[in-house]
Amino acid sequence: MDPIRSVYEDDPDMLEIVREFAVELPARIAKLEAHLAAGALRDLQTLAHQLKGAGGGYGFPQITELAASLEQALKSGADAPVVKDRTRSLCELLRAVVVPEAR
Amino acid sequence: MNPEVPNPNRVLVIDDSESIHKLVVARLRPEGLEVLGEVDGERGIERAIADQPDLILLDIGLPNVDGFEVCRRLKEHPATRSIPVIFLTGTADTESKVRGLDLGAVDYVTKPFDQVELRARVRAALRAKRLQDILEQQSHLDGLTGLWNRRYLDQRLESELNVARRYGRPLSVVLVDVDHFKRVNDDFGHLFGDIVLQGIAEGLRAYARRSDIVARYGGEEFAILLTDTNLRAAMYVSERLRSSAESRHFEARTEIVSVTASFGVACTEDLAAELTPEALVKAADLALYASKDSGRNCVHLYRSGELILSTGNPLALGSE
Repeated sequence: MDPIRSVYEDDPDMLEIVREFAVELPARIAKLEAHLAAGALRDLQTLAHQLKGAGGGYGFPQITELAASLEQALKSGADAPVVKDRTRSLCELLRAVVVPEAR
Repeated sequence: MNPEVPNPNRVLVIDDSESIHKLVVARLRPEGLEVLGEVDGERGIERAIADQPDLILLDIGLPNVDGFEVCRRLKEHPATRSIPVIFLTGTADTESKVRGLDLGAVDYVTKPFDQVELRARVRAALRAKRLQDILEQQSHLDGLTGLWNRRYLDQRLESELNVARRYGRPLSVVLVDVDHFKRVNDDFGHLFGDIVLQGIAEGLRAYARRSDIVARYGGEEFAILLTDTNLRAAMYVSERLRSSAESRHFEARTEIVSVTASFGVACTEDLAAELTPEALVKAADLALYASKDSGRNCVHLYRSGELILSTGNPLALGSE
């Protein structure tokens, strides 16, 4: 997957918090994978909900989009393979996020 | 506490996601807003009561107590009722929006929010809040003098009396009446009478203490509520106010006119009757009439049924 960058990287008001958000993503990926493995669907849904709400605000509309589709699957009680698939896509996307350089 | 300009605006964010807090801070700081944050509904309500923000951004999907319940409680509590609430919602469904608005929220923003939209909605809510505050304050102000009006004084008297009773603290009331005001009106006209009232009001406000509540009680009568103040201290304040009124001069055409005022003072500690707003005002009124009867331009104190002329000297009150 191509690397993805925040659309707000060049906004001086945003740079610092976009960096923090990107730096913390590996920890979120680990949590997503752990909840998936443990079948903790409620926790998985909470994480998806939070990423949906924050992603676009930090300049990553793709994160909002994929997190929303995972949340939707969990809300509607979709089959396990669907949930697994969407969680993995989300994690893959999060791994592609580039941490912007501090200026 | 007298009418004042409000402080810079503060926004309280109640959202369980730290990422959202940081985002709101980054987006609202350039607007010159101070952003406070809580991640939990219960704590959010407590914070709103304690810190009195100008606006609350409230997440609907909070764990434990959800945003709808938090909003309902904020709108129920007298201390937070008038603070506008904007819902932050992750779900864009009409039902949630309608439910939020019906609970008293002024607006909603869907997450992820567009920064321009967030700022515009926040600005609009703050503008409406400011107008609402001005209206509320104006409904408590006297148009001619800019002092508090009688309605506000009556409300405060009631609540301050409760405080005084509960904590056993003294509360004093001073009634002030401009001497021979009818004559001033007759001799120089009502417009001049208004100028005199404004001047006297200005003097009362300038020479009262910061914590004193100065009101126009009606006509040429003023009332001052002195919290945490015993009879002796209220007497000092009254003497100071009396001499400031006496030394004020007004120019009427070619004449220099000076007016005086009479004062009546009563304190909860020296009330013979039971502690009610009416009894306290009645006692101050009796003292005021004693001042009128004994030649005006003086201060009388009501003390356990007796009316004592103040000489400005604490010995007049005996040792305390």
